Amino acid sequence: MARIGEASAPVATSDALARGRLRASLVPDLLVEARRIVNTVIAGWHGRKKRGIGENFWQFRPYVQGEAMARIDWRRSARDDHTYVRDREWEAAHTVWLWADLSPSMLYKSKSATVSKESRALVLIFALAELLSRSGERIAWPGLTDPFSARNGAERLGSHLAQAMSPPPKPDLSGIRRFSDIVIVGDFLDPVEETMAWLDTLARHGARAHLIEVADPAEESFPYAGRTEFTDPETGDKLTAGRAEQLAEDYRNLYSARRHELASWCKRLGWSYTVNHTDRLASDALVHVHLALTAEGHGPGGRR
Amino acid sequence: MSWLPLSFGAPAVLWGLLALPVIWWLLRLTPPKPQAEIFPPLKILAKVFKKEETPHQSPWWLTLLRLLMAALVVLALAEPIFNPREKLPTGGTALALVVDNGWASAPDWKRRTATAERLIADAGADGQPVVLAFTAEKPNAEIGPFDAQAALDRLRAAEPRPVPTDRGPVYARVATVLATLPGASVAVLDDGLASAGDEQAFSTLFGQSPPNVLWASPERLDARGLTSAENEMEGFALTAIRAPGDPAPGAVTAGAFDDKGRRIADATLTFAPGETVATGTMTVPFELRNDFASIALDGQAQAGAVRVLDDSSKRRRVGLLSQSDADDSQPLLAPLYYIRRALEPFADLSEPASSDLAEAIPQLIDQKPAMIVMADVGTIPPQARERLLKWLNDGGTLVRFAGSRLAAAGNDEELLPVRLRLGERSLGGALSWTAPQPVSDFPASGPFGDLAPPNEVTVSRQVLAEPTPDLAQSTWANLADGTPLVTGARRGKGTLVLFHIAPQATWSNLPISGSFVEMLRRIVQLSRNQGTATAGTEGKPASLAPFRMISAEGRIVPPPPDARPLLAGAGTLPVTLENPPGLYGSEEGVLAHNLLKSDSTLSPLVRPQLSAPVTEIRYAFDESRDLKGPLVAGALALMALDTLAVLWMGGMFSRRGARRARTAGTAAAVLLCLGALLAQPDHARADDTKPGDLEAVEAISRTRIAYVLTGQASVDATSRAGITGLTKFLVEKTALEPGEPAGIDIAKDELAFYPLIYWPIDPAAAMPSEAAIARVDAYMKQGGTVLFDTRDQFANGIGADSASPATERLRDILANLNVPPLEPVPADHVLTKAFFILPEFPGRFNGSPLWVEASLEASNAEGRPVRTGDGVTPIMITANDFAGAWAVDENGEPMLPTVPSDPMQRVYALRAGVNIMMYMLTGNYKSDQVHVPVLLERLGQ
Repeated sequence: MARIGEASAPVATSDALARGRLRASLVPDLLVEARRIVNTVIAGWHGRKKRGIGENFWQFRPYVQGEAMARIDWRRSARDDHTYVRDREWEAAHTVWLWADLSPSMLYKSKSATVSKESRALVLIFALAELLSRSGERIAWPGLTDPFSARNGAERLGSHLAQAMSPPPKPDLSGIRRFSDIVIVGDFLDPVEETMAWLDTLARHGARAHLIEVADPAEESFPYAGRTEFTDPETGDKLTAGRAEQLAEDYRNLYSARRHELASWCKRLGWSYTVNHTDRLASDALVHVHLALTAEGHGPGGRR
Repeated sequence: MSWLPLSFGAPAVLWGLLALPVIWWLLRLTPPKPQAEIFPPLKILAKVFKKEETPHQSPWWLTLLRLLMAALVVLALAEPIFNPREKLPTGGTALALVVDNGWASAPDWKRRTATAERLIADAGADGQPVVLAFTAEKPNAEIGPFDAQAALDRLRAAEPRPVPTDRGPVYARVATVLATLPGASVAVLDDGLASAGDEQAFSTLFGQSPPNVLWASPERLDARGLTSAENEMEGFALTAIRAPGDPAPGAVTAGAFDDKGRRIADATLTFAPGETVATGTMTVPFELRNDFASIALDGQAQAGAVRVLDDSSKRRRVGLLSQSDADDSQPLLAPLYYIRRALEPFADLSEPASSDLAEAIPQLIDQKPAMIVMADVGTIPPQARERLLKWLNDGGTLVRFAGSRLAAAGNDEELLPVRLRLGERSLGGALSWTAPQPVSDFPASGPFGDLAPPNEVTVSRQVLAEPTPDLAQSTWANLADGTPLVTGARRGKGTLVLFHIAPQATWSNLPISGSFVEMLRRIVQLSRNQGTATAGTEGKPASLAPFRMISAEGRIVPPPPDARPLLAGAGTLPVTLENPPGLYGSEEGVLAHNLLKSDSTLSPLVRPQLSAPVTEIRYAFDESRDLKGPLVAGALALMALDTLAVLWMGGMFSRRGARRARTAGTAAAVLLCLGALLAQPDHARADDTKPGDLEAVEAISRTRIAYVLTGQASVDATSRAGITGLTKFLVEKTALEPGEPAGIDIAKDELAFYPLIYWPIDPAAAMPSEAAIARVDAYMKQGGTVLFDTRDQFANGIGADSASPATERLRDILANLNVPPLEPVPADHVLTKAFFILPEFPGRFNGSPLWVEASLEASNAEGRPVRTGDGVTPIMITANDFAGAWAVDENGEPMLPTVPSDPMQRVYALRAGVNIMMYMLTGNYKSDQVHVPVLLERLGQ
């Protein structure tokens, strides 16, 4: 009988080079895909939606006495009897930390999913990197790079990832300061207490986190039945169930309870929590996170 | 295994059952292989997992299932046999098998043969020769010794016979054979019925003192026999017998069947407890009784339970006797006149040649009549009287009429049913106070009970019976004052009837009433013929051919080949193979030859005391069953169950949803294969085309005008162009749109597709063969028309009998055809009115008449425009060269000039063609138009 889920690539935590190469080979594809996804979002993302110092046109408004004459837009003013000033859209750089869980458990991909969780996580990260870079934000990968601002931020992030030998599984988050945003993509399958203890640093520093849980549909619906031996891809532990379908109900309860707890914790802290299934489109999560990043009252400077 | 009727062909294999514990141990140790799955949220699952007890082994019921499967396989391999057949202890050097195949063995013959087959098979296994004898066969039949195979073949060929067994001669023959086979064991398969000479037969058979004897008898004698079926006054009296020794009461149902085997009546016969004889009456109307052909006991498939009935219930012979024979001049006053008229329709009448009673009565009785009617016969001569009495007591019916002679003759106890008062009584005469007496209702006890009373009948004179206490019982009909009109009495087996009136209409008007006929008819039905007609006057025993036989199974069948004619009249004949029971004679008259006589009994066979050991065996079918097949089937079923269980435990069925797509694909593939298989015969069926079908379909899909290919290119081209021109003209002018002209070869092509064949006669062309002309002849007979065109109107020579070569050729052709009488088209012929009104039929030439079949019977008496008449002429002859006038080139221009060159002549030629085609297709429709006024008038307009 064919298996339901599989690891999408051979995983050896010690073999960092292989992982790096694999990731490097994956990056260009992901970038392309990320660009494609970004194009669907960019209209609503670009700029700060208010006038200020920037490069792009925002609006024409009538000239008010006392303003610098140099700001008058003569070309527009010549068209009628009034005098107009060209306002530009305010653009401000902002640091957004990006991090994806690249542990072996993320390599899981079931038959009903279109991609593995790791692939989806990287796609999301690169898509966000692309988005943020285009709007001039500073992006960084904790433990890998310092914040930088570049038009080709996604490529640079990709090259950093490809060159990294073996990123620490849980980076130190203490360097992240107030008024920063951090986007964490992972499966959050560790016990909730551990995850909370790890993320508590962020809460204490006043950073705003956006958690994206990449979930495989098989993990959520538990479609297994009959005699089945389950293997943990990270620890190698094995469990053999005689009638797997009998476990489904309880498992589903526990699984959704974990997600619910994390989500409510995030909500309490003012963070966003997004679930993205690998059988759905990455754009769903991207739009959701984008909304959360630009949410009203959560402008630069973090939450108030 | 005495407690189970089970034995094993290979018991050693049963040791294999010892392997079962090992299998159990193995099965307990190896659980089914789990499905390996990678599962990242294992930590979450592990929390749930603590609750479940993981089965390390397969469930107990699966283990049990597999153990059972293994046990079944082991048992099947041991070749078990249920109900094993015990080997019969024949023992001797040979086997002599004596089988009764008389009538009593028919119902369970198959069981007997099965028993005999077992015995023969056992003897054959030991290599013993087998002597096989059947006691109802001819004693000179071949009895062996045979080898086992030949004996089996003979056994299968043997069948029960509808005759009693004849053990004596057969046993004697077996004994002589046994004398050459010392030490042979004897097996007797009897039918349980004793027969004459049994003791003698058994002593002969066992005279050699065989080493052992096998004896099979039926467990009980449940044969029932029908020993008599007599046609009594109130119904058929039936007698059935059974074997003694049955203390329980019993009942059998007898059914009466007509000559087509339809059941028309039945009756129940009851055996009292311990009794062996049961009687019963089948109460049915007289009319039905005459239809009885056989009577059979239900549920008894043997010949003894069937009786066939002969002529004794059929058309009767009636003798008429009268003393006054001088009244030929006054036939209405002759005493027998009304009797004869009344009896003729339903009885064979015979009258003696002599008028002397002393000779006339023996003459009548020699013909064995069922009934003798004596019209006013007084004293009967003593020598004749003896024979008459004997005939009467043997079952004859004597009907006497009163009259002056009878009244004068005085009483006769034996030949009169009641005592009479001497003299006659006159009612309503001139000197009497009384009026003529009407007839009252018939007494219900008499045979006339259900007849309608003759209310219009009055009696003015009668002879009176002495009033005795039993007079009412013997009275069959009364007058209104209670005096008897008809009396009857039994005399032995016979019946004596007296009409107290004269047979003429002088004493009463009864003889000229319908009731008289009914009464006589009823009496005739009561009577019975005394012997067969063919047993006749010579006294020589007649030879009666077998007509319908009773088979051993009790059915009425055609006679078998070995049935011989029955010598009737030679006393009681035994039922033998040459004379099996049944009907002998022919359609005119048959004699019943039944298996059981009226005094027959069914007595059980008495076994002799034998010195040799006697082994009792039972008649039984071979009931051993090989259990190997069922056991293997059971093991296979368990294997299927096991597979299902394993699949279920592996979660196959709960994952079915995920596999639906694949299942659908498989189903689609299977359906496709099935469809392909089913579609195969369709292709085969569809491919029934024959060569020429395409041409035929093309020829008949449109109306086409045909022309004969003469082989001369110019003539054929002209014909084709001509028909094309006519076709164009038809399309232009009429609703008919013919197809392309069809050039046909009359020797090969099918002609029946074309309504008209244009045949230009060309002397240069080859003369058609006789076969081709025969085809044309057939075409004309089937309704086609040939238009011959000699195209030589102006080529004929001068002179009445001069003929052009084309005409000569036409004459040659027509010489071989059945040409009807011809005439030029008359002025009122339908051809002149079929579409255009045409006085003549020109072509390129003008002047030649168009010859058609002479309508000889056609009439036109009232001067109508068109003569009436049926049919279409099969032949038309012209010399005007129609095709030449019709011919057009591809531009539609005429090809040939008309002679003389008159454009209207071409138009007329084309119109002639239109008329001819319309005439071909519509027949005499136009001439029927003359009836239109009449039809309209009938329609009320």
